[in-house]
Amino acid sequence: MRIETTRFGPMDINARMLIHFPDGLLGFPDVKNYIIFDHDQDAPFKWLQATDEPALAFVITDPFLFVPDYQVEIEEQDLQALSVSDSSQLSTFIILTIPAGQPTRMTANLKGPVLVNGENRWAKQLVLTTSLYHTRHPLLATPGTAG
Amino acid sequence: MLVLTRKVGESITIGEHIRVTVIAMKGNQVKLGIEAPADTQVHREEIYARIIEENQKAAATSHQDLSTMRDLWRRRSTTGRA
Repeated sequence: MRIETTRFGPMDINARMLIHFPDGLLGFPDVKNYIIFDHDQDAPFKWLQATDEPALAFVITDPFLFVPDYQVEIEEQDLQALSVSDSSQLSTFIILTIPAGQPTRMTANLKGPVLVNGENRWAKQLVLTTSLYHTRHPLLATPGTAG
Repeated sequence: MLVLTRKVGESITIGEHIRVTVIAMKGNQVKLGIEAPADTQVHREEIYARIIEENQKAAATSHQDLSTMRDLWRRRSTTGRA
């Protein structure tokens, strides 16, 4: 199938690669289908692109590369919502925010990770109850070492 | 807005499947117990609002800024990761 995207132009994608968010992402409840693809091969950044909303795309990454001890507490209702029978089916991503023109000030939303069930390709954004994690966790920032 | 007064231990029901109980009060804090079906999402409003706000910001990321970011990452990776 062919989709339109604002950032990447038209793209041909395999419909079997669609990721379905039954509830959408928080703030975007009506946008339910996305595709995930690499920004490029040498860096761990991917795009989560809406397939029927050309302008809507998020940068996501593997949280464990940046926060090795990151822990997501998954509740029974989340497993049910994604029809997960075995938690090894799940992949975890975090959404990054890169302020315009200031990429070194990139932050990660550790409070609202995205879980993807690789088996049926259903996904959900969680809201973690822990106070350990925040919506704007600086990823690059150890002051003095930037640049 | 419907306003109801409840004592500790008392509940209100919303529809057939949701019950909210006042568990405890301490100063200006109220502890609530919520029983709801698994597919009803319950969140503290301010956390929910913060994630919505962050998603909206994240959605504005440009391709170019990520490429700059990618270059920084590569430089960092080749000079040894912290």
